[in-house]
Amino acid sequence: MICILTLVVFGVLAIFSASHRPLAKEAFECVFLRLTLRKCRTGLDTKVKSSIVGRIMGKSPFAAKITYKYFEVFSWVLVILMVASLAYSVYGGYNYSLYGNCYGPEEINAFCIYNALEGETFTELQTKVSGELEKPTADDDPYLGKDDAKVEIIEFGCYSCPYSRQAQSTVNEIVQKYGNQIKLVFRDFPIDTIHSRASLHAEAANCALEQDKFWEYHKKLFTEHELCTSAEENHLEHIVRLAQETGLNMKQFSSCLKERKYKEEVKTDFNDGIKAGVHGTPTFFINGRTIIGPKPIRAFEKIIDEELSK
Amino acid sequence: MNAEKIRKDFPILSKGVIYLDNACQTLRPVQVIDKINEYYNDYPVCGGRSYHKLSKRVDEEVTNARRIIQKFFNAKKVQEIIFTRNTTEGINLIANSLSLQEGDIVLISDKEHNSNLIPWQILNSKGIKHEIFEFGNIEDFKSKLNSSVKLVSTVQTSNLDGTSQPVEEMIKLAHANGSLVLLDGAQSAPHKPVDVQKLDVDFFSCSGHKMTGPSGTGILYGKYSLLEKLKPFLVGGDTVEETTYEKCKFLPPPEKFEAGLQNYAGIMGLGEAVKYLSKIGMKNIIAHEIELNKRITEKLGNHEKIEIIGGLNAEERGGIFSFNIKNMDPHEVAIILDNSANIAVRSGAHCCHSWFNKHNLKGSVRASLYCYNTEEDVDKFVEEIEKVLLLC
Repeated sequence: MICILTLVVFGVLAIFSASHRPLAKEAFECVFLRLTLRKCRTGLDTKVKSSIVGRIMGKSPFAAKITYKYFEVFSWVLVILMVASLAYSVYGGYNYSLYGNCYGPEEINAFCIYNALEGETFTELQTKVSGELEKPTADDDPYLGKDDAKVEIIEFGCYSCPYSRQAQSTVNEIVQKYGNQIKLVFRDFPIDTIHSRASLHAEAANCALEQDKFWEYHKKLFTEHELCTSAEENHLEHIVRLAQETGLNMKQFSSCLKERKYKEEVKTDFNDGIKAGVHGTPTFFINGRTIIGPKPIRAFEKIIDEELSK
Repeated sequence: MNAEKIRKDFPILSKGVIYLDNACQTLRPVQVIDKINEYYNDYPVCGGRSYHKLSKRVDEEVTNARRIIQKFFNAKKVQEIIFTRNTTEGINLIANSLSLQEGDIVLISDKEHNSNLIPWQILNSKGIKHEIFEFGNIEDFKSKLNSSVKLVSTVQTSNLDGTSQPVEEMIKLAHANGSLVLLDGAQSAPHKPVDVQKLDVDFFSCSGHKMTGPSGTGILYGKYSLLEKLKPFLVGGDTVEETTYEKCKFLPPPEKFEAGLQNYAGIMGLGEAVKYLSKIGMKNIIAHEIELNKRITEKLGNHEKIEIIGGLNAEERGGIFSFNIKNMDPHEVAIILDNSANIAVRSGAHCCHSWFNKHNLKGSVRASLYCYNTEEDVDKFVEEIEKVLLLC
């Protein structure tokens, strides 16, 4: 049994290390012989067993004795665990391909190793809410699509968050694809503890909403983010410049921003997000089903299609 | 003999390894390594061909090494020392150079290394037979001697268990029968005094790497009168005085057996190794090994799970403790020792498959001692073996 394990271990190592290739070859020969009901002639099983027992014996003769005596049993257990782990990985991969997460449609929030494949992650809030969660509502926040659409997508996002920014291209594709079949609501979730100017962005966007140019300004904030500012331009100047480029009434905009007119509105959004269990941006609620992070579009499509077909 | 002092000449021993695989190959002292470096640094040229000063220096050093070895084995003439790559090459040289005829018999023991078995098996195709006598059994040896036995080729000290044969008596018997004698001295030359004149042996082959010398070096001794009659085995550059397109005139021994450019660094290193051993004294070395072997045998010899090959008497086994643990594969034991306490021993059939097959054994674990091993080494070995015994 140990030959199967060594084949897997040395097989993987052999991809990166030429010195492990002869061992991988030896392990393969051993496994092949065992599968064809012949004895492993290479002595690899003896070598591996003895090496492990020898190392343990240096530390604990008793543990070495147990390992030596029950080595075949341990090998079987490890092989079973390896097969189970492999099966679980395949299952996770299957889910990932369908839902963009490892655990299927209902467990979309949990950590998934495959996310790393596409660099997917999100800005996480350090503190999380405890107690019963509340279903988020659209409130009076801006939306695209149809007000009474069958599928309501509420996005909790932050203009200063690179992951919210990354998700926007997917959001745009969804809006284009589904049009009035959905209602896409944007709610502010500025994580000031990580992004110091996050609330200011959100308040500025609300000032643009006052002039019915929210989505234009929203788009500019995400596409021409602060990294694009010149060295001389300070942050406020950047926000003002984007407002000018959007064609906002600057007097009204400046006054709105200076007075912090939408401070409470942004705070309400944030608190509603906390109550709904949002702990990072972007977080999407699709008829109450959650997607965290900039997932691939297929993850959204899967849920939206399911909700539309209900 | 001060083993602690000797150890300081072997840098690797300060790195925590307990080296008990000396029958396979010994470690090399700094003196040998320095000599090899001296050649490569100061006069790295070919000898025996050119007339420049560097070449002359190489010739002098090679001759010097040959003289040291001549003295070490008490050979009559310096020309009786031929440099080879190892014991195996020396035996093959005799097998191929001696004019054995169809119907001739070569007598070998049942405990020969493959190097002293296969060359004779190969000659079977020419009608030259090899017959087997029981190792160390004089009566059996005598009974196998007859007029067809032209050569007795046998091991002086067995590499699988360290036991030795009464070769002096065997040589007398062989000569009385009109047979020549070739001794495989791979395990005797590094450990005990060998006097080829006293033994009156005709040929004697041994390896440099088993006696603190460099790898790829060996010695073949042959009585000069016999070497003169032998046809060369490998021929080519530096073996001839002159050639025409039709024929050649070979140089006298040893040159006619040393074809091509020689391993000068190795030869010089081997000379230095032999000098090093002479300084310690071969009698001291074997006495030290036996003392250590006794220490191991006293502690492990009577254990019910241990089967010693070669008997309980450590004096008969010299520096080798070859054994099996019941229900354990010898390779298992060796690998465990290596991983648990960095103890290097040999496991397997030690190139004596024929003997192990005859005795229906897979092999053995072989701990082989040398002048730099200490009581601490063998105590640690015993301690680890005692732990291994608890495994099964």
